[in-house]
Amino acid sequence: MINDVPLIMIREVGYEYPNGTKALKNINLNIFKGELIGIMGKNGAGKTSLIRTLNGLIRPNYGNIYIQNENIMTKSIATLSKMVGIIFQNPFHQLFANTVEEEIKFSLKSLNLSKEEIQKKIDEILFKFDLNKYRTRSPLNLSGGESKKLAVASIICRDPKILVFDEPTLGQDAKEIEFFINLINKEREKGKTIIIITHNIEFAYEYLPRTILMADGHIIGDGPTNQLLNNEFLIEQASLISPQVRQLSLAMQQLSLQPQNDINSKNDMINYLRNLIKSKSSKIQEDNF
Amino acid sequence: MSLEFLNAFKFMKQKSFLHNLDPRAKLLLSVVYTVIALLFIQIIPLFFIFLSLIPLVLLGKIFKQWIKSIRGLSFLVLFIIILNTWFISLSFALAMVLRIYIMVSAFSIFFLTVDPNDLALSLISMKLPYEFAFSFSLAFRFVPTIANEAQNILDAQQSRGYEMQKKGLINQVKNLFPLLIPLIINSIKRAFYVAEALESRAFGSRKERTYYYSIKYSLKDYIFTFYLLVLLTFIIFIRVQINSMPDFLIWSLPV
Repeated sequence: MINDVPLIMIREVGYEYPNGTKALKNINLNIFKGELIGIMGKNGAGKTSLIRTLNGLIRPNYGNIYIQNENIMTKSIATLSKMVGIIFQNPFHQLFANTVEEEIKFSLKSLNLSKEEIQKKIDEILFKFDLNKYRTRSPLNLSGGESKKLAVASIICRDPKILVFDEPTLGQDAKEIEFFINLINKEREKGKTIIIITHNIEFAYEYLPRTILMADGHIIGDGPTNQLLNNEFLIEQASLISPQVRQLSLAMQQLSLQPQNDINSKNDMINYLRNLIKSKSSKIQEDNF
Repeated sequence: MSLEFLNAFKFMKQKSFLHNLDPRAKLLLSVVYTVIALLFIQIIPLFFIFLSLIPLVLLGKIFKQWIKSIRGLSFLVLFIIILNTWFISLSFALAMVLRIYIMVSAFSIFFLTVDPNDLALSLISMKLPYEFAFSFSLAFRFVPTIANEAQNILDAQQSRGYEMQKKGLINQVKNLFPLLIPLIINSIKRAFYVAEALESRAFGSRKERTYYYSIKYSLKDYIFTFYLLVLLTFIIFIRVQINSMPDFLIWSLPV
């Protein structure tokens, strides 16, 4: 699935806001087609600024960004938004139409599609996101979760190759997070590249294969999520805390209960504990005999 | 598109002669300059009045932000010049532009150098009910927040193919809906949240209040007020006697 030539190449990129805040400093990054990648770090680390450079909302002061081997520095936001779809944190920053259907239509208008194609896409996307029942309702009367779904739908309907989510799990209940996880899996199967900014460590540890850690405008770590989040030094640098599974496994190591170091997910831990309890209980039974 | 222009009215804490003045003295400055700008329709007096604001801008160390507010008026200025030249004359158009610059500069100086908390206190000291004074300072405090939100809305809409520039006046007006509707709705929602937050902290439970900070009219405020009143009297005198003043004061362009 992942090819050798990066889909996104960020080279020596730096950006300073007009008020003098240096948001990005010498950023170098490769992101490959079909990757699911997380960006983590404390507030003000430069995560949102970095993703804003991908569709031209921020033009770096220096450096270059290539998408599909093309330098995007001179491309318009309108052109880039067809390739890179950014779904922002607050859905109420974009919902404005009279009905849910019109909200989706607005996103499709700039793609030069025929009326029939637009209608077909609207039907498909509303069905896919289970929003058909709200078709004629005002987007402003939807619940928090439904409005977030609509905001995501209004970007995914444009079929961009790269999907960028800013804090997708924020304020979402368990079912909504599950829906989101299914959605990113389906989009990945279609070959989409997905970038997720998140503060949700448990979510990242469980579902994101690769993570970039940022601090003070720099990338301080880039690699498999489990490796990065097991690294106490990097965790400290990025102002994060260790995932619960990691904390539990460290506590167990101190009790000499868990010698091996290959517990990297909730399921690993559940299996380990199950086996441990089984072996202990069979030992108790043997002792009783 | 950048909405940086709104930042030209955002208070920034720093030490300067203007920042140290009492907010009431600065409010008087804005009022006096607005009044004297309205007294004239001749270019030369308005130009001198405008020039007299520049030392104040320098004293307040707010030159950069002031320039931004002036630059932010470009579109309006163009509109004023075209309409007034079309219907009246270029001289009148330039006078109107100077008038706008004076008023915006005077209020820009006020907003850039007055802390929103002091503003509420000064309004209360002018016997305005606390609720009104507080609402006013709250509105003032939310200007940069709304500017920031407007930028976020613009970013979110551009991320799904929205384009600012469209041909034709009707299309341009229609094109503002995706920005204005979320902005208005979020502002109304925020107003409710703020009201709830205030009520949960017993806002308005007692009529009589005490204040943590107090403001006092000091000697430099009295001197500044005196200067403003002398300026106002002098300008009114010139306005009344304008016909007996040197000719250059009433000079106007031939068109």
